[in-house]
Amino acid sequence: MPKAQSINENLLPDALPNFRNLGAILRIVLLVNGIALLAAIAQAVSVQDIVQRFVDSSAFLQPVLLSSLLLLYGLNDALARLAYWKGVTAVILLVVVITLAIAYLGGDLYASAAEDTSFHAWRNALLSGALTVLLLIYFKLRAMSLSTALQDARLQALQARIRPHFLFNTINAVLSIVRADPKRAETALEDMADLFRMAMADSQKMVLLRREIELSRQYLSLEKLRLGDRLQEKWQIDDALDDALVPPLMLQPLLENAVYHGIEPLSEGGLIEVRLQRIGSELHMDVRNPCRKHLGLHNGNKMALENIRERLDLQFDVEAKYTVESGDDHYHVHIQLPYVKEEQYE
Amino acid sequence: MNNVDLPLTVFIVDDETPARHRIKELLSDCGAQISLELIGEASNGREALEQLSVQHADVVLVDIRMPEMDGIELAQHLNKLDKPPVIIFTTAYDNYAIQAFEQHAIDYLLKPIRLGRLFEALTRARAAVPVKSEVLQELTPEPRKNLSIQERGKILLIPIERVLYLRAELKYITVRTVEREYLVEEPLGALEKEFAARFVRIHRNCLVAKEEIESFEKMGEDGADSHWSVKLRGLDERLPISRRQQFIVKEFKKF
Repeated sequence: MPKAQSINENLLPDALPNFRNLGAILRIVLLVNGIALLAAIAQAVSVQDIVQRFVDSSAFLQPVLLSSLLLLYGLNDALARLAYWKGVTAVILLVVVITLAIAYLGGDLYASAAEDTSFHAWRNALLSGALTVLLLIYFKLRAMSLSTALQDARLQALQARIRPHFLFNTINAVLSIVRADPKRAETALEDMADLFRMAMADSQKMVLLRREIELSRQYLSLEKLRLGDRLQEKWQIDDALDDALVPPLMLQPLLENAVYHGIEPLSEGGLIEVRLQRIGSELHMDVRNPCRKHLGLHNGNKMALENIRERLDLQFDVEAKYTVESGDDHYHVHIQLPYVKEEQYE
Repeated sequence: MNNVDLPLTVFIVDDETPARHRIKELLSDCGAQISLELIGEASNGREALEQLSVQHADVVLVDIRMPEMDGIELAQHLNKLDKPPVIIFTTAYDNYAIQAFEQHAIDYLLKPIRLGRLFEALTRARAAVPVKSEVLQELTPEPRKNLSIQERGKILLIPIERVLYLRAELKYITVRTVEREYLVEEPLGALEKEFAARFVRIHRNCLVAKEEIESFEKMGEDGADSHWSVKLRGLDERLPISRRQQFIVKEFKKF
């Protein structure tokens, strides 16, 4: 299927796993060893025999596994640039070649006396090739569930926009300034259009963090139109984040949550604090807002937060963290994700 | 109700400044055809109640979702005034309430409010009858946050979390807080239903706040005549538990 290359093919379901992601590496190591263990159990004649067989097969398996992972780690960017099917073929060939190479280099070390060296090598090449195919299918399925989660996020963002509470109150607020301050009313309608556009956008790409920040500010300025001084915001953004990429609709739904549950129920209003910073190779997002504890979370918002967690998990695996701290008078969401730069994909 | 020549006095309650501003613009647009006077505005139910207990308004335009005290609770308290105003609810969206409005033919305006609809509602207002309190209670699944009492022409609010017990005596209900007693005129059964989360019935005529129960004490001699009573935090008084309600002593010991 001919398709324009995007800077982050990795996000599309038709993409190889990111071989530099700690989570992907862990999954590969665990699954391969798990299958080897099952094979040992299937052939064994006693419990001791299971261990013996597993150790025997490990002598060959681990070098193949580790050198494959090392090579894939190094070639990750080059592989990601290939079309999906070419990439898949390349990965399978790589693993098969490594298997053959190690089998022949090891020679007598691996093949038992009764076994022909060349039969041993080709049998293992077939097995490792087949295992690679299975793993790639598994990663493709995982990636497909990411695209579903992303669609859900857009749908939810759209639903939040269309949520009568937001839509009608905002239209009402815009109407109230049309006569007195037409310029401000114009800006408000433009902001609203941008918010809807983002939620309806079909792109699966990562977006520039500064675009997400801009969108979030537009959202807050719309809410300010209604809430006035009750809504206070404080932003703390690292300079080093200008070129960072983030999954779309990560920050803005958090702010929506903060306004609806934190600020609106308080007649004196409150402060929403947003902090974005880079620590080493990590990007940290913090959103903090006042909150009355007894006010339970609204269902729609709970879904939006759940979806952010799910998307982080699918996309970054163990490299992203999502934590919520809910105190007596405040609510604090912390997101940690790998710092990804724009050029990295170009 | 009023003399038709007098201007209709209007009061606005909404927590959003632009929403109040919008209504004011529309009211001045209506001004050409109907004689109106805007006598005040408030940003939540509590403020509105304070102002409206000293100053009468014919019509109060009330937003439903507000911090501090929502519009429905405000309406319930306003009903206690000597001359309750006609209440017109305004809301951007509130599925639950709107169904109830339709059912009881209560006037409401959907935001953004249209000039024509506001005009109609105001024209009808002079002939409107205040909505009954029982109906207002149906408008929301939430219990009130306060009980209101009319005392010397003013409305007093007693936050429900300060109430220790409610006891029916003859025509009135005694509402007891740590500081003092008040009298309200509401059926005990309705209060029990509304505030089921806070109170438990210990006697045919008495509801006590579950959280405030300090201890249970056995009264009288052991034997057939003995019965339990409740001591509440901050009160010396012992409230008897009727024979039929004795089981709550056991239930509470489980906690």
